[in-house]
Formats: sequence, structure tokens, C-alpha cells
Amino acid sequence: MYQALLTRKYLTTKVMPLLASLGVALCTAMVLITWSVMGGFLRMLTESGRSLIGDVRIVWPNTGFPYYDDLIARLEADPEVEAATPLIETFGIITLPDGRTEGVAVRGVEGPGFARVTSFAETLWWKPMAEPLRKDRGGEDPRLDGRDMWRRLYENGLALTRPDPETGEPKAAMVLGIEVTDFNRRTRSGFYIPMVIPQQTAGGGLTHADVFMPLQGELTLRVVPLDSRGRPRDVQTRVLPVANEFESGLYDIDRQTVLVRFDALQSMLQMNEGLRLAEDGPDDPFAPGEREDRYEVDPARTTAVLVRGRTADRDLAGFKARVERIYSEFAAAHAGEVPSPSAIVIQTWEDANRTMIAAVKKETALVLFIFSFISMTAVFLVLAIFWAMISEKTRDIGVLRALGAGSWGIAWVWLRYGAAIGLVGSVAGGLLAWVIVTNINDIHDWMGTSLGLYVWDPAIYVFKEIPRRIEADKAAFVLAGGVLSCLLGALIPALRAAFMNPIRALRFE
Amino acid sequence: MTRHAAIPTVPESRPAAGVALLSVRDLHKTYRLGRVEVPVLRGATIEVREGEWVAVLGASGSGKSTLLHLMGGLDRPDSVAEERHPIRFDGRPLSGMSAGELDRYRAESVGFVFQFYHLLPELNVLENVLLGAMVLHGRFGYSRRRGALRARATDLLASFGLSHRLSHRPAEISGGERQRVAIARALINEPRLLLADEPTGNLDRETGRRILDAIAGVRGGPARTIVMVTHDPEVAARADRIVHLEDGRVVAGSI
Repeated sequence: MYQALLTRKYLTTKVMPLLASLGVALCTAMVLITWSVMGGFLRMLTESGRSLIGDVRIVWPNTGFPYYDDLIARLEADPEVEAATPLIETFGIITLPDGRTEGVAVRGVEGPGFARVTSFAETLWWKPMAEPLRKDRGGEDPRLDGRDMWRRLYENGLALTRPDPETGEPKAAMVLGIEVTDFNRRTRSGFYIPMVIPQQTAGGGLTHADVFMPLQGELTLRVVPLDSRGRPRDVQTRVLPVANEFESGLYDIDRQTVLVRFDALQSMLQMNEGLRLAEDGPDDPFAPGEREDRYEVDPARTTAVLVRGRTADRDLAGFKARVERIYSEFAAAHAGEVPSPSAIVIQTWEDANRTMIAAVKKETALVLFIFSFISMTAVFLVLAIFWAMISEKTRDIGVLRALGAGSWGIAWVWLRYGAAIGLVGSVAGGLLAWVIVTNINDIHDWMGTSLGLYVWDPAIYVFKEIPRRIEADKAAFVLAGGVLSCLLGALIPALRAAFMNPIRALRFE
Repeated sequence: MTRHAAIPTVPESRPAAGVALLSVRDLHKTYRLGRVEVPVLRGATIEVREGEWVAVLGASGSGKSTLLHLMGGLDRPDSVAEERHPIRFDGRPLSGMSAGELDRYRAESVGFVFQFYHLLPELNVLENVLLGAMVLHGRFGYSRRRGALRARATDLLASFGLSHRLSHRPAEISGGERQRVAIARALINEPRLLLADEPTGNLDRETGRRILDAIAGVRGGPARTIVMVTHDPEVAARADRIVHLEDGRVVAGSI
């Protein structure tokens, strides 16, 4: 009982414990803010990764595999499968209106199907907006002007088509990563402003064209088709209009990826169904040296099928196993024509992004370790303060012993006091962290406008906002760590107090 | 003998009464200062009877406070043969008690009054007095008796004329008041033995007299047995009996 009284009195009448609590609060807040921001960054990264490929993907790269319609039908017949869609992945070269040439990852997608499996529809950038972005306080985002054009651009993007200006008929088009062309300037409020495009004139000069890519822009795309055995054929070139642009939240994706309507890319890569010359036909035995042209039906192929599950959130591994089983049945039905179940690559979104996620996880762990190590100063802070306080309170310890307090009772006074400082400091630090993390974007904006200090510049970093969510389990862990640190810091002084000679303590001056 | 000539004679009208509550026989205590061993008590012997007020009179460094601390179980005597217990309280040998039993002994049976009051500066007067009760009864015991204990503390302080000082901090009251608070704190658990170490040593003569009146008043309650150490013969004269401590030995007045 006396421990509780003394803890309360020492806590409320002394300045030093308040300073110790402040130190603990700052350490707790530092670790919690770091963990929340880094953890939020990791979460955004993984969620972005998932939004691009769905839950599970079945991949046979480069040459692709046939009868994917049958596979998709089998998958979608399963009650656990929400949707499945084909995807062709390849590499290509684009030529921009200003003459630049860029290497890009090209993905052929069926717009509506792709939108059912992934978050494609949400990532389309040029679309009507009812509310400004949180940081766009002035409402300067051009998408807010209410023009019908945004709706049409959105629909174009979703279907990966753009109407032919002469006939009005929809033409296969591309949707570009928002950073691919460098023709969009990202503002600090997080929205994009289309820029004037520099163009070379016939005489070698430079002029400027007021071209908004999703309305008037076109790109030249070059890809190298492979036959079903992986041998390259002639480079295919096609000029494609731009239907829209997408922002996935991942800079690399937004910088290097272009989406093309599935059938257009399939055709360019000669992966569509058709009669094709069999290049490995035997020589004509009756006309040595001459080879007879032989044609065969080549079924349409895709390099991947993306699958979205109904319960994959709860059991991703279980869902993957289910997909593997369905693929095995499919492979058995098309034995010898599709990759065997042991050869095909079936990955969850986590598997597919494992390298990137692991890197960010390691970075988060490293930063946390460093900050936690720095926070260990709280232990020594409490130790130093308690050591000084126990020296100051030596006579009081003697008095308590004279009143009958035992050694462990005395130790408990200081341990309890340490725990109280830890609790007060941790709770204060937790509240501080909550206030800072919750308002981190406003604080950052204020720093930018008042001090010109933009640590997290949306014009540079692809995430428009700093992650601002504190997770309860992490907060509880950090708070408990703060209390334990203080207990640890109080332990040695507490033992010193406990085993102090009461006579010397009473005579202490 | 010349040194003791000025010591007032203990009035014959106050004879020792009752059975021995505290028995000290051939008590030795040596302290070590670096490599030097300093014997403080060299075979002190004294017996204090139930209800008696004994003054231990001696010069500075004679071992008075050490004797008091040993009587109160704050320290242990030099090791002796197991069967020889130099201090016994109510027949129980203190040297045979474990650390926990000694803590209990101090909390339950002994009340200490110090020269410099030793009140805890963060606590107010009432809290200082209740501190001993909190130590003795623990969290649950104290909570159960809270009302009664607060009433007892308030009564004690009222009996010492401190009703108006209950919420004052030690720094806000006078030296005499602090010592009265210290006496109230020593009495809160109704100990059988009150050990006072120079209780008037830090006070002026008049205030010291009042403190001695207060200690004398204590004898009406359960803490009827008092051992008081002092270097002041006039203060010692208030006791029933005076014993002289010189060079670690009781040289006169012992029983």
C-alpha cells in the first residue's frame, strides 16, 4: 500500500520522473511512428501488388499455353473462384510523340475481365472526380471540372479502346502507366497535370504540341513474337492510340508498364488462333533440297491466367491449392498440348512479389531495430534518474526499513515507480504517435508551406500520402516495450535500494 | 565518577515495575571502517521491564544509537554462539529471527523516534503517520481497516495538538510539530516498545520539554515501555531510570 502512495507522490511532486516520462514518451512515439509509417508503406506496397495480379496467377511465360478459355471456364465453375482472366506478358519498345524510345513491359488484358480480377478500374487515372484528393484543398485537379470527357476517357480505358476520329468506331488502344511518357506533371497535392509535348519538326527543329495523350496521343509499339516453340519471328510494329493512363501506386509499374487490349497484343505476338506455316516440316523425299510448305492450326495462346478467389483473403495457400487442382484436371484433359502441372508456374500474389516484399520487410525490420536500439537510451535514462533519486531518498529508505518495510517491499517501491513512469511515458508517447501519425500529412504539408521542407514530396514519391494508420497490436507491443524498458532501467537502482544498510541509510546526510 | 556527578538522581518514587520486556546481555557490535575494525558495543547489558521508561545516557560515540538500532532489529549484533542470544524481546531472541520476522517485529512491536524526525517530505502529516500502518497491514489489510486507521491517526495527531496540520507537508510545520508527527507515526501501530533516539536533540529547550511531555503521555497507552537515548542529563532525568553507556559498556544504572 505504501508503495502505491509513494509512487503517486514521487510521480506528482518531482520533476525528474516527469523528464524520464518525457524521454520514454519520445522514444515510444519515435518507434511507433516509424513502425506505423514503414508498416503502412509495406501494406500499401503489398496491397498494390495484389491489386495488379489478383490472388493467384498461372504462368507459362514467353510462348504461352493454349486452351486458356477452357481453363478459365473450369476455374469460374468453381464456387471458390470469383473470376479469372487471361493476360499476355511480354517486353516491347514504344516510341513517344517526342521521338523518345523506351523499353517497356507490355501486358495484354481483356479490360472488363481484368477489372473483375484486379483493381484495374480503380487505378485508371483519367476519370470523373466528385471530391478532390485530400491534399488538393484548392480543388485544382482538372478531373473535378465536371466535363463529360472524363467519363468517356474512363470507359475507353476500361475497354482499352478509343473511337476512330473519322469513323467513330472503337479501335484497340493502350493504357499507359501514368509515369511512362513523362508528359504528366505530378503536383504536391498528388494529382497530375498534362503537359505540352515537345515535338521535332521535319527540319530538325523543335515545336510544342498541346496533345493530351488519352484524347489525341498515339504510340508506336514494337514487339517480337515467338512461335509455340519459343523461336523469334519478325518484329511486329503497330501504332496504337492511348485510351487512358493508370496509377497503380508502384513507381516501377507506373513507369515501365503499358496495357494493350488482349486481342491486339495476341495478334501482334501471333498468339491468336490461325493457320501458320510449320517451319520444321521434313524435306520432300521426291524433290530433295526443297521443302514442302506445311500449315497447321495454331490455337490461341496466353502467357498467364489471373484468378481472383472469394475466400483467398482468409486462406491464400488453400486457394492456391484449389487452383492447382483445377489446373491438373485441365492439363489431364489437354495432355501433351499444355504444360504439365509440375512444370507450370502457379503463384500467389505474395509469391509473385516476394522479393520486393521481403526487401521492404527487411528494411522495416532494420529501421525498427536501429530505432529500438536508440530507444534503449530510455533504459539508461531511467537508471540514471533512479540512481540519483535513490541517493537523494536514502534516508527515506532507512525510515521505511525502521517502520518495518522489507527489502523486497522497498525494491517494489522503485520497480513500481519505474513501471509507472514507463506507463505514463508509453501512454503519452502512444498518444503523441497517434496524433502525429493521424495528422502526418497535414504536419508534412505545414512543414512544406511554412519551412519549405518537403521530406515526402508526392512529385517525387509515387505514394500521394504518407501512410497514417496505427495498428492496435503494434501500439500495444511498443507500449509494453516502453514499460518493460523502464522496469529494466529501474531494476538495478531498486536492488540497490532494497539491500541498502538501514543504519547507513538513516545516518545518510 | 566525576563525569556522572552532575547527573540528576532518578527519583526513588519511580521504581521499575513489571516483567522484563527487553533483555540485552553481553552485547557486542563492531563496525568495519575500511580495514579498521571499530568496536562500538563491548558487552553491553541492560534489561528493560514492561512499562518502564529507560534513558540511556552517554557521550557522543558511546554507542547509544547503535544499541537502539540493535534493540529495534535494524541491525544484528556480532555473531555469537548460537545458544547465546544477546537480545531478547518478550523472551524471543532477535538474533534467531529471519529478516522477514525482524521486519514484522519492527512494524508490529517497535516504534522509532529519531532526532531529525525523518518525515517523508512528499507526504503530508496524516500520510506520514499512516505510513507505518500501511507497512504493517499491507494493501488488503490496510484497505479493510482504512477508516479505523485514519481515525486513529487523526486522534493521535489531535492528542498532540496537530488537528489543524493534517494536510500540511513537513516543510510547512515547525520542528516541534514535526517531532510530534514523528511520535504519532511511531505510535500508529500501538507498539509495545518505543525507541527514541535523541528526540529533543534538534529542538530548543522549551519545545524539547513539550516533546518529553508528549512522550511521557504515551505511557498511558499500549506503548508503555520506552527506551530513550540522549546525551543530555536533564532530558534523561524525565525517565524512570537512567543507564550510563561509556565506551560500549553500561557502566552505571543497569539492572
